[in-house]
Amino acid sequence: MAKRIAIIEDERAIRDNYAAAFRREGYAVDTFEARAPALNAFETRLPDLVVIDVNLKDDVEGGFELCRDLRARSTDLPIIFLTARDSEFDAVSGLRLGADDYLTKDISLPHLMARVAALFRRMEALKKPESANSSIRRGDLAIDTERMTVHWQDQAVGLTLTEFWLVHAMARYPGHVKNRQQLMDAAQAVLDDNTITSHVKRIRRKFIAIDAGFDAIETVYGMGYRWLSE
Amino acid sequence: MNLRRQLLFVSLLALLLPWAGCEFIRETESALRASQQQMLAGTARAMANSMAQYVEEYPPRLGEAKSSEQVFLQSLPSAPRIDGYFNDWALPSASQRVLNGLDGPVRVVIAMHGNSAFLFVDVSDRQVVYASGETLVLDDGPRWADRISLVNTSPPYLDEVYVFAAEAPGPIISYKRDSSGFKPEPAIEAYWQDVPGGYRLEARIPRALLGTNLGVIVSNTSNVTKAATRIATFSGARPGPSVRNAAELEAIVATLVDPGTRAILTDAAGWRIASAGALSDETTRASRSSGWSYRIYDLLFESGEDARSAEPDPSGRERQAYVSAALNGREMPAWFRSDESGRAIIAVAAPIASSGEIIGALILQQGTDAILSLTNRNLSRLINLTLLVTLLVAGSLIAYASWLSRRIRHLSVAAENALLTETLHAALPSALAEDEIGDLSRSFSYVLRQLGDYNAYLRSLASKLSHELRTPLAIVTSSLENLEHESLDEATATYTARASEGAQRLRRILNAMSEASRVEELMEHAEQEVFDLRAVLSSTTDAYRDVYTERHFELDSGTGAVPTVGSPELLIQMLDKLVDNAVDFSKPGDTIRIRLSAEDDANSLAVTNPGPPLPERMRAQLFDSMVSVRDGENSRHLGLGLYIAKLIAEGHGGTISADNIDGGVAFEVRLPRQDSR
Repeated sequence: MAKRIAIIEDERAIRDNYAAAFRREGYAVDTFEARAPALNAFETRLPDLVVIDVNLKDDVEGGFELCRDLRARSTDLPIIFLTARDSEFDAVSGLRLGADDYLTKDISLPHLMARVAALFRRMEALKKPESANSSIRRGDLAIDTERMTVHWQDQAVGLTLTEFWLVHAMARYPGHVKNRQQLMDAAQAVLDDNTITSHVKRIRRKFIAIDAGFDAIETVYGMGYRWLSE
Repeated sequence: MNLRRQLLFVSLLALLLPWAGCEFIRETESALRASQQQMLAGTARAMANSMAQYVEEYPPRLGEAKSSEQVFLQSLPSAPRIDGYFNDWALPSASQRVLNGLDGPVRVVIAMHGNSAFLFVDVSDRQVVYASGETLVLDDGPRWADRISLVNTSPPYLDEVYVFAAEAPGPIISYKRDSSGFKPEPAIEAYWQDVPGGYRLEARIPRALLGTNLGVIVSNTSNVTKAATRIATFSGARPGPSVRNAAELEAIVATLVDPGTRAILTDAAGWRIASAGALSDETTRASRSSGWSYRIYDLLFESGEDARSAEPDPSGRERQAYVSAALNGREMPAWFRSDESGRAIIAVAAPIASSGEIIGALILQQGTDAILSLTNRNLSRLINLTLLVTLLVAGSLIAYASWLSRRIRHLSVAAENALLTETLHAALPSALAEDEIGDLSRSFSYVLRQLGDYNAYLRSLASKLSHELRTPLAIVTSSLENLEHESLDEATATYTARASEGAQRLRRILNAMSEASRVEELMEHAEQEVFDLRAVLSSTTDAYRDVYTERHFELDSGTGAVPTVGSPELLIQMLDKLVDNAVDFSKPGDTIRIRLSAEDDANSLAVTNPGPPLPERMRAQLFDSMVSVRDGENSRHLGLGLYIAKLIAEGHGGTISADNIDGGVAFEVRLPRQDSR
């Protein structure tokens, strides 16, 4: 049975374009232009994945509200913010509400498709038992490429999809400098320098929350980043 | 010319005030004087008319004698001693008649006192030849001596000569010569005195001996054998009538003359025959107060003739132009003024005519005290006041101008400061003033506020625009991406590809536009960390060498760590912008220099590149949002690079500046030193 994706987006053209793209990939798509009709529909049935615009016409923070409601109903429902609001503050707010990814509308449809597919893959993987061969270990770091989870010193590090891909790209070849373009490609996104810097900072912070002495990600100024492995 | 000088210049016009006042007083004074002169002339005419009836009292008409050769009999207030000295004669030396002698001047004076006449003769003579018994009374050879003769005639009855000759200096005996011969004249007392360069004779002659006509002859010889030279007061054979005071006329004039007025009566030749009255004491005594205002007075007003020349002539003959005019039948007013005594005298002379013939002149003189004192007092007050007012006006105008120009200067300085420091909403001086400067200040404020709003609008424009354009761009890109999945013919696919390309460029531009606001946002939340700026620069420069392969990079950062506090990523981003700028303005093969130097108060980071100099007019706005000095062709730049560099530099508490250096451009960022944390 086809996965159902709900798109809540006030701009009809974008909504229809996304819907068309998803349908082409074989997903079933419901589209909503505001929060209320979406919530009504979700009363009867939750979709398998939700794509939300933060700003819904007059409902300026409507996307955030919707995310909070949905997260309250389901902890594992994949939620993606897709918005024109590109400020760091909005991104942090969205991710705090439990979104799995925060994307700006710059993202290309193929990149979006890849992410959605990845999120569905992760859900599938989570349902299956852990398999050892899908895991990479680098010292204290353990990466499960199937489930897209990362552990540091055996504690789970809650990373978004983008963050996961960045860590994966760096840790795969420890000691190699990954420049910004390489990291962007790995994260299936077109990001500017400042956004990559923000992502790396956020990743570091999440590791440091577990291990105050974490210093495995090194900034090579003017070049990029590399994973240090002892 | 600044405002102050302009107003000083204008205030000089106030000097017209004293000038106008002086002009007014001058007019008043001359009008008053003219009227006084007219009145005096009227009086003089009336007196002259009444004096004309005493025609028989006037000296008779001259026959062949010349009027200039007449002897004027002076009046002496007291009798001098007969001792050969002139100093006890109460007469000025100018009263002496001067004749041209052989060895120098010969001075002669005859005066009357009581019943005596006094004769004084002063002869210059290199060689005094005394008389002997033989030459004592003779004067026609064959031997001669120095002698003085008083010719005393009363035609046609009397014709005699008194001869004075000395055998030795001292009292001498005079001899009378008449038709009957010589004989001593014991009634005459005479004294001969030798002086260096000549001799003097003083003699007293009883008035009764004298006739109407008098003359003096000095016979001078240098040797007894040489004939004497005649030096005489008259040129003919007999002297003309002597001029003596007409007592009867003087008595009449004295009854006619007003107090404070001096009247002088002359004969037809101008010889003074009577005088009466005196100028008021005030006139003669008044001494002018000295002081600058009087000096100004002297400068401003016509000063008249010297007052001393208004005095009766000591020689006895009045030779002033106005007297001569009267003797020729014309009237001519005159006035005299003395610098020393402050005396001003107006004088008129009226001819006295009898049966169509001018027999004399009446001179009237009067002091002009009233006018003078009036004008002087008024004038000094006027001059003082107007000068004070002028100074006051000039002073207050200058003070006002200074105040005004200070306000304007403050305003312009404040406006410039507001522009430089971009505190465009700051209050300007004089904003509350209700005058034009207040208006100017408010207009300035308004313009500056508009400029500030405009700048703020420009700053936010980029991020707002990029934000607003993002959604429509997403529509375009997502549509194009969907379109790629449709079956397209070749032509459509080409167009779609082009549209995608355009959309990609548009997206990059939008990203650049929102970069500034993202940097600002990052700066607010950036964690401050301490890092070695030198190490960061060294690694970044290596990266630039990889990226910009057509440029050489030279890093001069010295040795030793340069600890810096801030965000290394942002500082690198700033450096990226400066290097990007340097690359754009240089040519392939050029060397871009990056220099880091730790100075006392700041770390200086400079990026220099060879290339065209910055245009002067853009210098101030170089770091503003959406300002680019590039030519239009290079469209990927929106003039945000240097603006972002400035944001980052200032976010780190530093400053950024650009300068033209020899053959290139240098951008310098100064970051405050933070040695310890």
